[in-house]
Amino acid sequence: MIAAQNLHKQFGSVVAVDNVSFVAPDGAVTGVLGPNGAGKTTSLRMVYGLLKPERGSVLIDGIDMASHTLAAQRRIGVLPDISGLYPRLTPREHIRYFGRLQGVPSAELDHRIDTWVRLLDLGSIIDRRVAGFSHGERTKVALARALVHNPGNILLDEPTNGLDVMSTRAVRELIRHLRAEGRCVVFSSHVMQEVSALCDRIVVMGRGKVVAEGTPEDLLTLTGCASLEDAFVHLVGPHGETA
Amino acid sequence: MNAIFLIAAKEWVDAFRDRRSLYTLLIGALFGPLMIGFMFNQIARQQKAAQEIQIPVTGPENAPVLVSWLAQQSGVEILPGPENPEEAVRERRAEFVLVIGKEFAAKFRDSRPAPVQVVSDATSQSTRSKVSRLNHLLAAFSSETGGLRLMARGVSPGIVATLKIEQVEVATAQQRAAMIFNFIPMFLVLALFTAGMPIASDSTAGERERGSLEPLLLNPIPRWQFVAGKWLAASAAAMLGMALTLSVTMAVLFRLPLEELGVRNAVSLAQVLLLLAAVAPMGLIAPAVQMFVSCFARTFKEAQSYLGLLMILPTIPGIVIVFYPLTNRPWLHPLPILGQYAMVSEILGGKDLPALSLLGALAVAASLTGLLLALATRLFSSEKIIFGR
Repeated sequence: MIAAQNLHKQFGSVVAVDNVSFVAPDGAVTGVLGPNGAGKTTSLRMVYGLLKPERGSVLIDGIDMASHTLAAQRRIGVLPDISGLYPRLTPREHIRYFGRLQGVPSAELDHRIDTWVRLLDLGSIIDRRVAGFSHGERTKVALARALVHNPGNILLDEPTNGLDVMSTRAVRELIRHLRAEGRCVVFSSHVMQEVSALCDRIVVMGRGKVVAEGTPEDLLTLTGCASLEDAFVHLVGPHGETA
Repeated sequence: MNAIFLIAAKEWVDAFRDRRSLYTLLIGALFGPLMIGFMFNQIARQQKAAQEIQIPVTGPENAPVLVSWLAQQSGVEILPGPENPEEAVRERRAEFVLVIGKEFAAKFRDSRPAPVQVVSDATSQSTRSKVSRLNHLLAAFSSETGGLRLMARGVSPGIVATLKIEQVEVATAQQRAAMIFNFIPMFLVLALFTAGMPIASDSTAGERERGSLEPLLLNPIPRWQFVAGKWLAASAAAMLGMALTLSVTMAVLFRLPLEELGVRNAVSLAQVLLLLAAVAPMGLIAPAVQMFVSCFARTFKEAQSYLGLLMILPTIPGIVIVFYPLTNRPWLHPLPILGQYAMVSEILGGKDLPALSLLGALAVAASLTGLLLALATRLFSSEKIIFGR
C-alpha cells in the first residue's frame, strides 16, 4: 500500500506539486490522471524516493520513504517515464542485472526470467541486444526489469504512452494480472480511456494539485456528469486548468 | 559490497561490447611504444647513413688525388656532382655537394692552400651528420698531405701537429636515444587516461543521456556503491591499458638495436614490476577525476570533450620532463602525475626506489580518489543530475 501525504515540491519559483495526498490500496489499480504538466511525474518521483519533497511524506507498506529509503525502495517496482535501457545488453542481461542488484538469488533468477518471457511474450528477443528494439519491445524489457524482484507496490509512469495496439494490450493485461495477484498498482496517464479501462480508483491532478479522488462512480457523482471524459474536462477545465 | 562488483562487471561487459572503447584501449596502449620504436629506428638509420655516405663531387677532374683518396675511405662512394651545386642543395635535389674549383690543381701543385667548397643546408637535420663526416674526411686528407709535404722537406710533421687529436665519438645519437627513454613515463600515464575514459564517461554521462540512471538508482543500494562499482570498472580498464602499454614498450625495446646506439638496455623483470607499482597509484586517481568531471556532462560526447581537455594535464609536464628529467627529487614522488614521472625516470635510470616513495604515492592516491568518489556520490544524489537531461 502506498500513502502520500501533503507532498510539496517547488522548482525555483514554480510550484510543481502542491499539497498532494492520495492512498493506493493493495489489490487495486490506482490511476493518476491529469493533463501534461499537472505534476504527475514529479509526484511519482517523490513517491519512489528519487526526489525529496520539501514537505510531506510517503509511506510504502507503512515504511517511511525519507527515513528508510532503501527498505521502502525494496518494496516498490518502478517504470519511469523513459525506459532507459543499455543498447549493448540483451533483455536477459538487463533483467539479471537488476535482479541481482535487488538481491534475487542467481539460481532463482533464471526461473523468474522464464516467467517474464511468458507473461510479456519476450521469447524471440530475450537474447538479442536491445539496440534497435521497437518502443513496445523496450517498454516490455523495462517492465520485466522493474518487476523482477516481485515488489508488492508498482509504480508505472505513463506505461502505454506511444505504444501500438498490441503492446498496449500486453501492458493492460499485465496490470490486471498484477492486481489479481493482490499488488498495489499505481499508474499515471493523460489518456482518459486508459484510466477508465483499468482503474479501480482515480486521482485527478491539475496544476500540481489533487482535484478529485475516488472510484469512477464517485467522480461521476461528484461532477454530475454522464461520462468520465466529461467529468475529467469538468474537473481540470477545458484547457487543463483546474475548475 | 557485492553490488559494487555486480556494477563493475556490468560496466566492464557493456564497455567492451563497444568497439569504440576497445579501439581506444588498443590505440592508447600501442601509440606510445610504436612511437618510441619509430624514433629509435630513425636515429639508428641516421647514424648508419652517416657512416656510409655518398659524396656528390662537382669538378672531380680538378683534384684526382683528393677524389681517389676519398673513394678509398671505408663507406664512401663518389657520385658525379650537379652543374649548379648551390641551387641543387637549396632545392633539396642533393643533400650536400663537394665542389672543387679549377684553381685547385695549380695551387695544390704549388703547395698553397687549395680551395674546396662544401655546400650544405644547415636547416636540414638529417644531413648534418653526413656533412660533419665529410668535413672530418677533408681535414684528415689535409693533415695527411701536409705531413707528407713536410717530410719531403726534411721536417718532422710532429712540429706542426701541436695537438694529437684522438677520435672521440661526440655521441649525439646516444644522447638522443637516451632522451627517447624520457617519453616512457608520459606514455604510461596517458595510457591510464585513455583506457579508463570510455567507462568513466559512459557509466556516468552516458547513463544520464540514456535515461538509465533513474531506474538504476532505484535499486536498494547505498549511493556510494554505485559510484564505487563504476569507478572500479574504469580503474581496472585503465590499469589494463597501462599494463598493455608497458608490455608493448618492453617488447619494442628488446627488439631495438639499443647496444648499437650505445644505450644500456637492462630493464629487468623486477624493474618492470616496480614500474607498474609506481604508475598504478595514478590508475586510481585518473578514473576518479574522469568520473567526477563526466558527472557534469549531459551526454557521452560532451563528457568526451571535457575529458579530452583533461588529457592536457599529464601531457604538458610529460613533454617538459623529456628535456628536464625529474631525477633525484624524492619529495616529488607522492604527487600525482609528477610523482609518476619522477619515479619512472629513476627506475629507468637503474636506481632503486625507496619503499616510502611507493607507499607515499599510494596513500596520496587513495585519499584523493576517496575524496573524488565522495564528491561524485554527492553528484549522483543530486536531483539535477538524476533527472536533468
